[in-house]
Amino acid sequence: MKTKKRISNIITMIFLLAVALFALFPIIYTVVSSFKTNSELLSSPETFWPKEFTVDNYIQAWQSENFKVGMMLFYSIAYTGVYVFATIMTSSMAGYAFARGKFFLKKLWLALFSATMFIHIVGVGVYPTFEVLGKINLTSSIWSLMLVRVFSVNIVNIYITRSFIQQLPYSLDEAAKMDGLGFGGILFRIIIPLMKPTLATIGLLAFQASWNEYMLPTIFTINHPEQRTLIVGITALKSTGEAAASWNLMLAGTVIALVPVLIFYLFGNRYFISGLAAGAVKG
Amino acid sequence: MSSNDMHMTLKSRKTFGGNSLKKDTISENITCYLLIATQIIGFLVLTIYPIIWTFRWAFYYYNLTPSDTVFTGLDNFIKIFTNEPMYWQAWKNTILFAVVKICLELPLALCIAVVLSKLKQVGNFFRALYFLPHIISVAIIGLIFSNMFDYFGIINGFLMKLGIVETNINWFENRGTAMAIVILCSLWNTFGMNVLYFSAAVANVPEELYESARLEGAGAVTMFFKITLPMIAPVLQTVLLLSIVGSLQTNDLILVLTNGAPAGGTFTVNSYLTHNFAPGFFTGEIMPNIGYGSSLSLISAVILGFIAFGYSKLSARLQNIY
Repeated sequence: MKTKKRISNIITMIFLLAVALFALFPIIYTVVSSFKTNSELLSSPETFWPKEFTVDNYIQAWQSENFKVGMMLFYSIAYTGVYVFATIMTSSMAGYAFARGKFFLKKLWLALFSATMFIHIVGVGVYPTFEVLGKINLTSSIWSLMLVRVFSVNIVNIYITRSFIQQLPYSLDEAAKMDGLGFGGILFRIIIPLMKPTLATIGLLAFQASWNEYMLPTIFTINHPEQRTLIVGITALKSTGEAAASWNLMLAGTVIALVPVLIFYLFGNRYFISGLAAGAVKG
Repeated sequence: MSSNDMHMTLKSRKTFGGNSLKKDTISENITCYLLIATQIIGFLVLTIYPIIWTFRWAFYYYNLTPSDTVFTGLDNFIKIFTNEPMYWQAWKNTILFAVVKICLELPLALCIAVVLSKLKQVGNFFRALYFLPHIISVAIIGLIFSNMFDYFGIINGFLMKLGIVETNINWFENRGTAMAIVILCSLWNTFGMNVLYFSAAVANVPEELYESARLEGAGAVTMFFKITLPMIAPVLQTVLLLSIVGSLQTNDLILVLTNGAPAGGTFTVNSYLTHNFAPGFFTGEIMPNIGYGSSLSLISAVILGFIAFGYSKLSARLQNIY
């Protein structure tokens, strides 16, 4: 009985480690390959470990004229910064209004906002957005995409903040009201300070979503290639004529784009996981 | 809430009488609308307006040049149903992709979740590890996999070295292998999330059920099918819905990984629409017929809606299996 159990434990472990290898291999492969010379990348694809380690790819990526990693990093950080800040602000304000406020048509607005989860106009959906931006004299650029993001409905995040605020006791609001705080004051002085862990979750999810975003940043920067974010710039290399000779740059760029996400995940994976679970349950 | 608090609450409510109460609700109304103002504007301008816009132009020939615009009535829709084989091919690809991916992914994820539920600390470690691919940009994932499965890539290199194949395989030139890689890549990206969902569900099954089953001599397999599976049915329904909707909407991954290769054989519906009509993605100098793209977008949204709605109706039974 005991040996049988031991054997089944070993089989379980082998299975779990095999899946772990499956999950990690592409990531490790990418990181390791980014330290290979370009000639090695092209000539001996079957070797996993580099024959000689080199950081040339990173130096080249940093100095290249048509692949400006520094600029891309700047636009990635700027876009992500605005996106994260806007998401935290708008979803905590809306979550509070929907949790505590009594206002005309409250249920209707929540239902309408929820419908945005299922409505997607693919392909042509950006033309009307461009048209609206044109009405206020804006052209497509990474900056106008930031503006779009400030006004976007983040329904999953609204659900997360709303359910957190609903769990807080009403006596808190009452006490604050006694002390002379208004409806809005309660949000900024009492609720938001209490909501920090929830806001950390939302912030991390927003960081991941915006840092990784591909479709809209690509569309909004067609006329401004210099405004590309990292993900857009790296992916754009693939569709150029010299794609095969640019793998070293793509790999180095990929690692640069991966590192911040991996660092955040290393320290905040609890928040990532709880946030996604909450989003799924409400979704 | 203590009785003291309750008393205070009642007292404070009573003091808001007549006019002051009305004034209070008006100012609360204003504050609430200010708090959600950006999202109301965004909803009207970025969701409602594009829907109306798409409805309108679906009945036109429209390429953003006003002088070229022609009202064409139902022509766009007639063309979709009579003369657009590539679009329906994309639907076939999408369904094939979704069915195969879900049939492989969910049993694998459930199996891992059940195994991990018996391990305490190690379980959390593996869960966090399996989730790792999900935090990476889908575009980057497409790039990594297209590198690994390149004609001169590491997978061909390995296979050659091990003597499994004699010449390099051109993975993206054959619809079968190209689709297999797309599925593998997408599964790699999302299975960890489903492990998390299933883990949470499995952890909520009361331990007493297993204990009494064990007393009656039930084996692990019986317990899985008679206890675990029925108990997590409501979660399974949600996870299945998310997987169906998620895989039917697959877009970025295809555009970066295969861009439809070979010859549109791996285009999903959304990637087909993006590839043909979205600025920055359509190839060629002339502007595509956006009016026609609008009608394709509408038809796709309707079909997707029907699938999601139909699934919800059909699977409602799973919610109250117990």
